[in-house]
Amino acid sequence: MYNSAVRGRLIDGDKSLSQISQEIIKPIHAKTPLWWYAAMLVSLGMFGFGLYCKYITISTGIGTWGVNNSVAWGWAIINFVWWIGIGHAGTAFSIFLLILRQKWRTAINRAAEAMTVVAVFCASLFPLLHMGRPWLFFYIFPYPNTRGPLWVNFNSPLFWDFVAISAYLLISASFWYFGMVPDFATIRDTAKSKIKKAVYGFFSFGWTGSSKEWLRFEALSFVLGGIAAVLVVSVHSIVSTDFAVSVKPGWHTTIFPPYFVVGAIFSGFAMVLTLVITMRGLYKMNDFITDSHVDAVCRVLIFISLIMGTAYMTEIFMAWYSGSDYETYLFFRTRLFGEYAYQFWIMFVANAVVPQLFWFKKMRRNMWVVFTISIIINIGMWFERFNIVVTSLSRDYLPSGWAPYSPTWVEIGFFIGTLGMFIAGVLLFFRFIPMIAISELKSVAKFDKPNHGKLKATSHE
Amino acid sequence: MSKNYILGVFNDEATLVDAFEKVKEKGILPLEVYTPYPVHEILEGMPTKTRITHAAFFYGLFAATGILGFLTYAAVIDWPLQYGGKPFNAFPSFIVVTIVATILSITLLTLFTFSARAQVFPGKKPEIFHERATDDKFVMVIDKESMGDKSKDIESIILEFGEIE
Repeated sequence: MYNSAVRGRLIDGDKSLSQISQEIIKPIHAKTPLWWYAAMLVSLGMFGFGLYCKYITISTGIGTWGVNNSVAWGWAIINFVWWIGIGHAGTAFSIFLLILRQKWRTAINRAAEAMTVVAVFCASLFPLLHMGRPWLFFYIFPYPNTRGPLWVNFNSPLFWDFVAISAYLLISASFWYFGMVPDFATIRDTAKSKIKKAVYGFFSFGWTGSSKEWLRFEALSFVLGGIAAVLVVSVHSIVSTDFAVSVKPGWHTTIFPPYFVVGAIFSGFAMVLTLVITMRGLYKMNDFITDSHVDAVCRVLIFISLIMGTAYMTEIFMAWYSGSDYETYLFFRTRLFGEYAYQFWIMFVANAVVPQLFWFKKMRRNMWVVFTISIIINIGMWFERFNIVVTSLSRDYLPSGWAPYSPTWVEIGFFIGTLGMFIAGVLLFFRFIPMIAISELKSVAKFDKPNHGKLKATSHE
Repeated sequence: MSKNYILGVFNDEATLVDAFEKVKEKGILPLEVYTPYPVHEILEGMPTKTRITHAAFFYGLFAATGILGFLTYAAVIDWPLQYGGKPFNAFPSFIVVTIVATILSITLLTLFTFSARAQVFPGKKPEIFHERATDDKFVMVIDKESMGDKSKDIESIILEFGEIE
């Protein structure tokens, strides 16, 4: 049987079960701090600016963006892939670490899942607006109609993508919500105010914690967990086929699906670190998200960073080994040492080199270092998407079709808007939802006790 | 409510499980057990079993055949279209949509099944036996009638580690 001693304690401070509930629920019952309002104001400002840019895009048209005939995909797709990537951590955390029986995930999975839902929502706005006429987006639904070709093209990766993203949003949101139902019941039963009792009572769906409910709840988690694992891998593979199924140099490669999935989990885990370190700092959750929890995520990041480095090297090697002029030109004359060398090397250093600092325990235990590196990884992952999207499009087969690309303020504003939306979403999450899965954390609390909380010592464990 | 039931209230999982097993040995089955988190010994010991996993399998089976059938019908039979000379029946590329849409169907249908079978849905009024069962207490509800003449034994089992309320 798995022994948690390797990881250190799961919860510091010998807390009773009721202390666990109280301390996690505290921010919900406490008075809203002033910084929360300030941060909310700033993020809503960003969100508002984003809305204005969306208005400009819709009312004037895609011409307000910097995209052109050659570089038809610009910031919108870069940011779409970036957000979707971040959105992969939630399910990856819940599912892969569940399958691997990592008990430390219980302190982090709720935050990761919340992040997933908000990030996927941010992501879905980009393709919607990039359609140019977003009010006709329902054309992509496969239903009998009178528009000539009766059905959508089921062989198109863009249609696969639409199915994958909508499914992912629905599934991750329902997975997240049902995980929260028992915790909402805890808030309902501990709340003093009548309004809170009524509101959380409604959202708790009449949960009581009876064995009949738990039995089915466990079965539900088992089913959803099992199939969502397939989903995590398939969604980002599908996103990668948006590129890999085309014939552009630098895109048309079989490495794309695994490379995208790993990259997505990489950026998602980095964002999880950013988020949980913020939670530790602002809400003093250090007893639940201990140093060894952060340590564990850092170790995962070293591993993924090595895979990322290998993927970058493989791409470069294959470009040379293939003997294809276009591939060689793209990688060596455009990316490595050409017009886009900047972006390439930022990506390489931020994703494959900087995270190697996590080999040192001192670095993994210093929260400022970890926080900074997690931000660096997110910037690096953004540049990875820039690299993929813009370099291939601006320098393909015909030199006459070459074109530079730079975003306009509308595109930048759109991105800032989604950042604002993400921060606002996270702030609402901090304020109104238990940041840590209370019932799951309680279920692992016994592993910190002698004999794993059992009355008699068992012969082997 | 308390007239017909006795509540055995425990502070941790281990003592609850111990008492639960002893009560069962006496041939009496608690009416229901309320815990802040799932306790596997209790879930296995209680008579209710679930077939949600089986249901999910069949949802998946039907969804997969249905979706694949629909794609084939739409793209091959109903309105075949040439896309760059590719075959109408592009089976491998139908698999992508089939997998994702099947997962979506399984998730939604299983959620509804869970909601219906466990009676957890919006607007449901909870039947709360003990306010702290969702916080830190482990509560065993026993029907007084079912105890018959063994009530003394049961009470002493509960009182060994827990309290009666």
